[in-house]
Amino acid sequence: MAYKKLLIISQRRAFRRLVANNRDRLYRMAFAWTGDPQLADDLVQQTLLKALSNQKQLRDFAAAEGWLFRILANCLTDYRRAKREFLSGDNLELVDKVTPEKWLKEEELVQKVRQAVQRLAINHRQVVTLVDLEEFSYASVAQILDIPVGTVMSRLCRGRRALREELLDNRSHETLTPAINIKRIK
Amino acid sequence: MNKDENISEEQLNAFLDGELESEEISCVFDKAEQSAELDQRLCRQRKLKELVKHAYRDVPQPKRLSPVRRMPNSLLGMSLVASVLLVLGAAAGLFMHGFMDRDSLPGGFSAADNTQAAIVAENYILHVASGDPQQMKRALQMAKALLSSAKPGVARQVEVVANEQGLDLLRSDVSNFTNEISYLASENVVFYACSKTIQRLEEKGVVVKLVPEAIPGYTALDRVVLRMNDGWEYIKI
Repeated sequence: MAYKKLLIISQRRAFRRLVANNRDRLYRMAFAWTGDPQLADDLVQQTLLKALSNQKQLRDFAAAEGWLFRILANCLTDYRRAKREFLSGDNLELVDKVTPEKWLKEEELVQKVRQAVQRLAINHRQVVTLVDLEEFSYASVAQILDIPVGTVMSRLCRGRRALREELLDNRSHETLTPAINIKRIK
Repeated sequence: MNKDENISEEQLNAFLDGELESEEISCVFDKAEQSAELDQRLCRQRKLKELVKHAYRDVPQPKRLSPVRRMPNSLLGMSLVASVLLVLGAAAGLFMHGFMDRDSLPGGFSAADNTQAAIVAENYILHVASGDPQQMKRALQMAKALLSSAKPGVARQVEVVANEQGLDLLRSDVSNFTNEISYLASENVVFYACSKTIQRLEEKGVVVKLVPEAIPGYTALDRVVLRMNDGWEYIKI
């Protein structure tokens, strides 16, 4: 009996570590998908509370990260269904309502890229950000989004093509290349 | 005709994302050596990947309500009294520590041993997210049952945290369970109303009135994680 309780406590601790270690990563992904800090925070809360209440479903902690991102993707799908919202980003306003004149070049670059990402179709946006931000393998992304690997590759291709056209092809090289001033490297 | 026409965009992506086998990687390198155009395509694709990473390196954090700002005066007073009692209790505990035998705790466990203390404590946090009155009733019944089923000599603590539609449980103008909540609070069940849910409702113009026993200020997730860190059992209703 005591062994069983200790096992439960050990599992709980492992799960708490999992939550603590992934909360910021989930938030960053949710923000990349929605472009809205409040909505992203809501989705992460839903994700982690769902994960907590369904933790018995998680048999293999090695697969836990993918499992959490899958719950996040499902939470976003539920949200979009409920709101009939497609998060296309067509009407996206810049997150920081600072006038362009006051932007530092660095911030301008960040905002431009985020806007371009927000303009992608949500399906493409999810794949691009899961691969580029979290460096998930194509197989993991396929599991998270419950789609075939071939679909991951084609969505990634279309998403990156759209980003490239918007960020690299249609603009001058200088606009997207801030002055190089390397302070330190990893 | 492009020299690199036989390298598809998918292959280029797979190369950059580390999805190719070593033989295929060598093949892409060889072709890039021979084709300036392919080399340029690779550079641009790499640049794009780095741009996306860079754009989300630091993301804006959501605005969160401060627990102090949302705490009603009555609760602030209660929390001050509780703080004083806590200090007195801690002082008494330190005083008594010298007189207490380790075996006087159930199971012979020391409170300093987190693992074993968690077994002794058997505290519970119940989470209500549903607006279904039956689920709310179930949560309250479970809180009562947990209190009454505690082993003799074990001070069991029970908290109820409500969010999303479940917040209705703690809204004085819509809850059907104000008497039950009042009774359970008198038995030391603590009720938390999720600050995020309150914030969302207020943004929609809803005036959120909570029962006096409900404490706002934490998000449901923060409260649950905090209590799980204390070794409490989490139960989703």
